[in-house]
Amino acid sequence: MYIIIAGCGRVGSALAARLSMEGHNVAVIDPSDENLERLGSGCNCAAVTGLPIDEDVLRQAGIEQADAVIAVTPDDNTNLMAAQIARQLYRVPQVITRAYDSRRKQVFDSFGIDFVCPTDLVADSVFAKLIPGGKKA
Amino acid sequence: MRIMIIGGGKVGYYLAKTLAAEHHSIMVVESDPVRCQRIVRELNSKYIEFTCGDGTVMHILEEAGILRAETLIAVTGRDQNNLAACQLAKSCFGVKMTIARVNNPKNIRVFEKLGVDSVVSSTDRIAGIINQELDWSEVNLLFKARTGGVRIREALVSAGSPLRGRRLAELGLPQGLIIVSVLRGSEAIIPNGETTLEPGDYVVAMGGAEQLAEVCDAFTRE
Repeated sequence: MYIIIAGCGRVGSALAARLSMEGHNVAVIDPSDENLERLGSGCNCAAVTGLPIDEDVLRQAGIEQADAVIAVTPDDNTNLMAAQIARQLYRVPQVITRAYDSRRKQVFDSFGIDFVCPTDLVADSVFAKLIPGGKKA
Repeated sequence: MRIMIIGGGKVGYYLAKTLAAEHHSIMVVESDPVRCQRIVRELNSKYIEFTCGDGTVMHILEEAGILRAETLIAVTGRDQNNLAACQLAKSCFGVKMTIARVNNPKNIRVFEKLGVDSVVSSTDRIAGIINQELDWSEVNLLFKARTGGVRIREALVSAGSPLRGRRLAELGLPQGLIIVSVLRGSEAIIPNGETTLEPGDYVVAMGGAEQLAEVCDAFTRE
C-alpha cells in the first residue's frame, strides 16, 4: 500500500518505521525538520516538510496515489481537516485519524471520520487490568 | 442579525466592534484568556456577549449561544480551526450562514468544497491588488522619482465593461489621463480617438492615481 502519515511525533514515526518494514511505501509529513529526523536512517520512507492541510504539501507527498492517509498530528482540527481533504477531495480509500481530546469524538463521529482516541484506549486498558470482567463494586 | 464570531484577534475584534455599532447582536468566542479580558474590557457594549473557550468544541459553542446564531464568522489565525468551527455550526447546530477567513489562499477551494458558504482571504485580495501594478512597479519607480503623482497601470477590459466596443473618443476619459497603448493578442496598438476597445484587450493607461483607479475600474467592471 501507499500510505501517507501526517505528523511525525512518537506515534507517526513509530507507525512509519513499522509500515515501511512490512514493505509498504510510506511518506511522512511534518512542519518540523527536527521531528522528521525521528525517522532515522533505518526507515525507508519519504519525508515531506510542511503542513498536512496544504494541498501543495499533500500532493508532494503523493496524495493522488495514496491508498491510505493517517492523521496523527497533535492538533485535532488539523487531523480533521487533513482527513476531510484526503477523503472528500482526493477520494483516498482509507483515512484514519487520532482524536487527542476525547471531547472531540462527537465531532469526528458526526463527520463520519474514522478515529482512534488514545485517552479511551488507555482508560479501557487500565480499567480491564484493574477490574477483570468489568464487575461492579 | 445574531452573529457569532470565533476568534477575538485583530480581525475578530474590529469585526465585533463594527457590527455592534450597526446594532447586530454579537457573540464572541476567544480561547486565549488574556485576549478575552482585553476585548471584554475594551468592547464594552450591550450588543456584544463574550465566551472564553475553544470555539471548535461543541459544548463551548452551545454555552456561547450558537443555537441563537443565524450567522457564524470564523476568523482565528488558523485555517483548520476556522473550518472546524464553520462545519460544526452548520452540521450540528443548523446555522444558516457560515463565513470563514483563510490564511492560505489555496484553502479557498478546500473550504468551499467542504461546505463553508463564504470564504475570505486577505492574502488573495492583497495579492490581486499588487498583481495589477506589479509589472509596472519599476516603471512607476522611475516616474515617482522624476514626477511625483503620475503612474502607469494596466487593466484588462472585461466582457461586461460599459466601455467595451466604444471608440476612445467617446469614453469621456478624465483630464490628466491618457491611454498609452492597447495590447490585443500579440499586437501593441498605439491608439487614437477612433480605436475601439474589445473584451480581452489590455489597456495601458497613464495618469494621476485617482483618475487611473476610476478608469481601470470601469474597464474591469463585470
